Order: sequence, then C-alpha cells, then structure tokens
Amino acid sequence: MKTLAYTIFIFLGTLIAFGQQTINGKVTDISNAPVVGANVYLEGTYDGASTDENGNFVFETEETGTQTLVISMLSYDTHYEMGDVSLLTNLKLILREAINSLNGVTLTAGTFEAGDNSKVSVLKPLDIVTTAGAAGDFVAALQTLPGTTTVSEDGRLFVRGGAAGETQVFIDGLRVFQPFNATANNIPTRGRFSPFLFKGITFSTGGYSAEYGQALSSVLLLNTVDAPDQEKTDISIMSVGGGLGHTEIWGNQSLSINTQYINLSPYEALLPSTQGVRWNNPFESIAGEAVFRSRGDKSLFKFYTNFNHSNLDIAQENINFEEFVPFRLKNNNLYVNTSFKYFFPDDWTLHAGSSISWDTNDIGIFENTITTNERGNHLKLKVKKAFSNRFILNFGSEFFHTDFDETFVDESGFNATSSYNDNLVAGFVESDIFFSNAFAMKLGARAEHSSVLDRGSISPRVSLAYKSSEKGQFSVAYGDFYQNPLNEVLRFDQNLQSEKTSHYILNYQYLSNGRTFRAEAFYKDYDQLIKFNTELPQFDSQFDNTGNGYATGLDIFWRDNKSVKNLDYWVSYSFLDTERDFRNFRESATPNFAPRHNFSVVTKYWSNKLKSQIGLTYNYGSGRPFDNPNTEAFLAEKTPSFNNLSFNWAYLLDQQKILYFSINNVLGLNNINNYEYANTPNMDGFFERQAIRPPADSFFFVGFFWTISTDKKSNQLDNL
Amino acid sequence: MKKALVIFLTLLSVKLVAQDQYTKGMQKAFDLWESQKPTEAANLFERIAVAEDDNWLPYYYVAQINTFGSFGITDEKQLKQQLGKAKEFLDIAKRLSPDNPELLVQEAMINTAWMAYDGATYGPTLAAKNTQLYAKAQALSPENPRVVFTKAEWDMGSARYFGKDITPYCKDVTRALELFATFKSDIAFYPSWGKKRAEEVAAQCKTE
Repeated sequence: MKTLAYTIFIFLGTLIAFGQQTINGKVTDISNAPVVGANVYLEGTYDGASTDENGNFVFETEETGTQTLVISMLSYDTHYEMGDVSLLTNLKLILREAINSLNGVTLTAGTFEAGDNSKVSVLKPLDIVTTAGAAGDFVAALQTLPGTTTVSEDGRLFVRGGAAGETQVFIDGLRVFQPFNATANNIPTRGRFSPFLFKGITFSTGGYSAEYGQALSSVLLLNTVDAPDQEKTDISIMSVGGGLGHTEIWGNQSLSINTQYINLSPYEALLPSTQGVRWNNPFESIAGEAVFRSRGDKSLFKFYTNFNHSNLDIAQENINFEEFVPFRLKNNNLYVNTSFKYFFPDDWTLHAGSSISWDTNDIGIFENTITTNERGNHLKLKVKKAFSNRFILNFGSEFFHTDFDETFVDESGFNATSSYNDNLVAGFVESDIFFSNAFAMKLGARAEHSSVLDRGSISPRVSLAYKSSEKGQFSVAYGDFYQNPLNEVLRFDQNLQSEKTSHYILNYQYLSNGRTFRAEAFYKDYDQLIKFNTELPQFDSQFDNTGNGYATGLDIFWRDNKSVKNLDYWVSYSFLDTERDFRNFRESATPNFAPRHNFSVVTKYWSNKLKSQIGLTYNYGSGRPFDNPNTEAFLAEKTPSFNNLSFNWAYLLDQQKILYFSINNVLGLNNINNYEYANTPNMDGFFERQAIRPPADSFFFVGFFWTISTDKKSNQLDNL
Repeated sequence: MKKALVIFLTLLSVKLVAQDQYTKGMQKAFDLWESQKPTEAANLFERIAVAEDDNWLPYYYVAQINTFGSFGITDEKQLKQQLGKAKEFLDIAKRLSPDNPELLVQEAMINTAWMAYDGATYGPTLAAKNTQLYAKAQALSPENPRVVFTKAEWDMGSARYFGKDITPYCKDVTRALELFATFKSDIAFYPSWGKKRAEEVAAQCKTE
C-alpha cells in the first residue's frame, strides 16, 4: 500500500513537472529593427522557436527553475539570458552585431593581400603566376600593383620612392635575408621562391604592423601552405630548363619538394642577346625547395628550406673601358626556416620560429676577385591573446644576428677584408581594437637595439579604419620605421645611426562584388639617411647620417572581374613626387629609380572554346632622372619613357597537360633605363655616354607542364 | 526491492521519453523543412544538435539546409555567413563521426556552392579538394548510392568540359540508381536524398 502511494506520488510529481510554461518576447537589433529567423531556445533542450517577421517568438516548455535562454542568429553575437522560466515572458532582447572579418571594417591602409579567402585580397595566388610578363616570378607580378615603380633592369621592389634595400621579405613571419637571386649589374633578378608553395602573400607599401622592422619602405609577407590538398608529381620542360616537384601526404604530415634547373645557354645560342652584353656562360642555376608540415590537434609545425646555386659569366659594354668588362659570379644560398604554432585554451596562441641563411658570392671582375660571406639568423617569439573578438593583443620579441665579411683581391695579390657583425634585439606590442563593425584601431610600438650601432630606437605605429558605407571605408595610418645602414656601408663604418622614415597614409577602399577600388595618398619623411663622399662606399669614404628626403604621391587601383564574362583585369596608377639627399648626392634630387608616373594594365581572358587563358600586360613608366655631367644641373635630365607590352597563352591540352607560351615586350620597343657617362671628358671637353638597355628587347618562353596526381585532374596552371 | 524497481522503471520511462523526444523533434524538423520553412527547420535541427551533442545527424542537417539555401545567393556577405555556418556545423559533425562518407559528400557540396558562386576564384583551389573528398568517400563506402552518384556527377562535369566520353560516368549513375533501390541504414533519419537527381542525370545520359 505504502509503495503504491509512493508510486502515485512520483507519478503526480512528474505530471507537475510536465506543466507547461510559455516563454515569449521580441528580438531586435540595436536600431530597434526586428531580427527575423533568430533561433531562441532553452539551452540543453529542444524547446525553442524561430522569430517571425516582427522579431517575435513564443514557445512552451516543461522545464522549471533557472534556465538559460539562448538567442542565436547569423552575423550577431549570440545572446544569453538567464533566469527562472516563469520570468522569461514578454522579453525585449537586443542583439549586438558580431564583429567579424567577413564584412566588418578591416585595417588595410598600406596593405595589399593576395590570398584565397581574405576579404582584402586584391590578388589571388593564381593571379601572381598567370600575369603576362611576370614569367612565374611573384615579385614581377607585384610590380603591377600601385606603389611600385618600374625599374626593369633591377627586378627588385622599389616602393614609393624607396630604394630596393628598403623592402624586407618574410616567410611565415621570419626574415629572408637574401630573397633575390644574385645577378650582374643591369641584368634583372628574380625572387628565389616558387610561388606555388605559398598560400598567401601580403604586400605592404607602408604603415605596417609593429611586428615588422628593419624596413624603411615596405614588407612582403609570404605564408607557406598549411596542408596540401593531394599527392602529386609535377614535371615541367621549358625552353630555359626543367623542373620536378612532388607532394607526399601521410595523415597529418606532408612534404612538398620542388627542384628546378635553369640554363639560358640554348636560348642564347638561338637568340643571342646583343645589346651591350656578351655571355661567356649564360645564367645557370639549380634550386631546390622543400616544405615539411606536421599538424597536431592544437599545433602546427613547419619546416621550409631553400637551396640555390647559380653562376654566370658575362662581359658588358662600359663607356669607361675599351673592351667589354668581364664579370663572373658564383652564388650559393641556403635558407632554413622553422616555425611552430601552438593554440592554448582561452584564445592564447604561441608562435615561435627561427630562420637562418648562409650566402656566399665569388665574383670576378677582370683579374680582381671579391668573395663575400653572409650569415643571417632570426629568432622570434610571438604571443597572441584574443580577449574577445573586439580586443586582440599581440606581443613578442625577436633577435637578429648578422655576420658579414668581404675579401677583395686584385691581380697583384693585394687584398683587403672588411666585415661587421650585429646583434639586434627587438620587442613589440600591438593591439587590435574593434569599437564596432564600422570603426577599428590598431595601436602598437616597437623597440630595437642594435649592437653594431650601439643605439636603440622606439617606433610607434597607429592605424585607424572607419567604414563609411556598406562597401566603402577610410583608413589612416602613421608609423616610424628604422633600418640599419646596408652591408655596403656598415662593413666600412659602424659609427653611424639607423636611417629613418615616417609614413602618413590616407586610404579609401571600395569593395563591391568582383570589383575593387582603392586610392591611397601618402607622405613619407626620410631622415638620417647615409651620405658618403666617394662614388661608391669604400674603405676610405667619409660616412655620416646627414641625408634626408621626402616622398609623396597617390596610388590608384581598380580591379574588375565581373563586368565582362571571363575577363579579369586590373589597372594601377601611381603618382610619385620625391626628392632626397643621400649617398653621394651633391644636393637634393629625384633619384634615378623614382619615375614620376607609373601605370599598368593586366588583363586575363579565359576562353572555354580554346581551353586557354590568354593574358596581356602593359606597363608604363615615365622618364627616369639621370645626371648629365655636361650640364651644371644635378640629376636634371630624363630618359625616354618605359613601355612594355607582354603576352601569354596557357593552353590546356588535357586536364593534366598544359602548353604555355609567353613573350615579354611583344612590340620590341627599345627601352632605355639610364645613361652611363664617361668618367673623363673627351678631347672636346664633352662627357660621352652610353645608354643602359636590356640585354635583349624581347624574351620568348615556351613550356610544357605535366601533373601526375591520383585524381587525374589537377594541373600546373596555378604554377605558371 | 520493489522501490528500486519502481525507480528503475521511472528512470527507464524518462529515458524512453527522451528518445521519443529525439524522434519527435527530428520528425518535426523534417516536417517544417518539407513545408518550405527551412529557417525554422534549421533552427530546430540546431536545437536538437546542441541538446544531444553526440549525434552527428542534426549537425549534418543544419549544414545541409544552409548549403542548399546558399545556391542562388548573389550577395557575397550573406553567402559567406551561410556557408560559414554550414562548414562550422559540418566540422562538428566530422568530429563526432570521423570518416563518414555522407559528411565528405556534404563537404564537397559546400565547396560546390562556392564554385557555383564564383568559379574563377574558388574553382582552382576547391576543385582539387572535391576530387580528393569524393575519392576518399568512395574508398570508405563504395556501395553508398549518394557517394557513387555525386562522384559520377562531378567527374561527368569535368569530362564534358574537356570533350571526353561521359559513358563510364553514366554507367556509374545507373549503378547508383540500383544502389538507391536497395540502400538501407539502421540509423533513424539517416540521409536518403539524391535518388531524384540521379534519375534526372540518368535521363540526360540517355538523350546525349
């Protein structure tokens, strides 16, 4: 009997518990507009409802006591409301818009990104390599972006009136000490890295993060692929050499290797370069790259290495010599980069890494030889903490070691050695603060101390972004940047200071589906630039830091891949006004590497019928200043303007075989980069000159690319 | 002793109620979906997913509704949000049920939605990923009709593009149709879609 009563009691208790309670209310956003389709429910139960077109919801529940009501909706922060079920009626709930990288404001002043999913991407990795005229060199593709200037005989990046040495390159956040192949004067170089091992490229033309230092003008950040999609073998046969690549995947680990042999001899035998050069032994290089990645639950380890051996033997015309000047070069470069990332609980991320490089050059000019050795080392530790998606803090410290020596031996056996070594310690702290989806700020500072200069510096960095409309935003940025004098100076004189610039940037960006417009105005103030009193830096030069200068201008970028079906194009224009007093300048003047106007158009058309991608690229640079010693004025004359039209054609023979053809400078236009004047006047008291032109006006390239993969589908179109 | 038994029975009935609640909830979500209320259906699947938290199916259906609903969206912002949510729920489902061919097929659908939106941008990276996903699904479950069919349809697309013979893939579609007829799963609410589409593709094969 007792038991029965007990059972009934329990049964009744259950019934009472099953009593229904109504929960209702209204969900709006901060502007009081109803939020439609939000999911409102009691945490841990099925009880809930979706809001109707007026933002109202109502549902019944059998739960009792204190419960958590969850309101979740795409693009809003999830809202939690705790309370006794009986009190959850006639609720007025306000959802706050979520801060997210997809449609919120972004801190973009000064930065171009090339990546798959980044909102601010202006170039996709594929673009880098399918740009006509780039010939697979990612640096050449970046030269179609505004802010860069056309200095075609050099091949490196000249950014906003800065010299090539003012740009630094980083792989996975770690410095690359020699990013470019060694080459002879006036023979353009190429980047050492093959673009297809990288998933994202960020090219900053100013105002960059406090995480990066030792670059006066620009940083180029490359990130290696985290996890390759598939195992495959790539074979390439080209008019200038061949390559072999392979990717192997074992579960969470993978290895990609890529090797390439380049030899210009057959090409030069067929179509010899005639303009002021004679190749004794055309450019030859053998290069190998490897990336190993291991992914854990909460960690990512990457190891990247690159070895490059190149040699060339050339004789170049020179106004000061009767005969061609012979130049021989052998370069060996080994670069190793290791990085480790670990994700701790509570949104702490640790990033540790090191990079080391060994570089040697054996150079012969006439009977003189020059041997250089450089060892660079970078250690870095960075910590990131996201306190919320509105406040992110980054801080870290790094250490750079440089060891450089050069030995000069002339034909008589006389020799001279110069060297230096430097330990540079740096620390940085930076925070990203999102006040709302429309307003964000990045605030940071960097401190550095260099042992060779025995001096330190502190550089503030600030950038602000304001989203003025759905698709448009304004950004401003300011920063101070310091860089040690280059090797060519430091090896002779160490009693100097860092060179300095300050950047002021105003940027407007408009993004609409498939269309991007950017305009950026900048002012750069250069100070403490190195000056010396000889033609080139040498052991008896007098060096000091009394140089200065400025650069100001406007960069415009427009890209559109929607207006015409299958056509993608971008247009860049840069206006640059700069003068500086540096090196051996006798007064302030615009340097030779800074043409006033730069313009480029890149087009790519995909034809389904021809199964081909056809590209055309046009580059224009206005005349570059040069100094005519026959006149009083300094650097007052200008070369003719630079014009180049390049064409490429990639034809898919089948899913895995591509035939590729390209011509650089289709029209065979004669470009003059500069003039070299005789050191001494002729009998009439006149300094004679010689034009510096590319070794050949045009360059042809033919290649066959074959991919062998398990899926029989991928090809190397993205590697071209 | 009797008391213990009563308590045990009561507990059992609570458990039965809970199971029944799952069946009822899932059924209600499917009803909502069928009556053209995908938002409500997705929200209910989401509530079930969060409450059950060890069952991959409701997560799978949240991902699926968001993916299907994204085809035809032209606003990139909205598309990113919706496919982002689909991917988020799919990733949880994959953690709960690793090496599940249905989830691999679903992942490929999300990629296909991206490619349908902007083939030039997403095709080069995602096409290779899809091929990989289908190959893996095929290896795991060669007799699953959805795996056989979706893979055949995918392969057919690229064969057509390169002007190659599509006959072998048509054969696969026919085989998928046979598999659809016999496919059975012990799991309640196991995915069952794809037959109708396979019939359409098979009809196209005949006309070509």
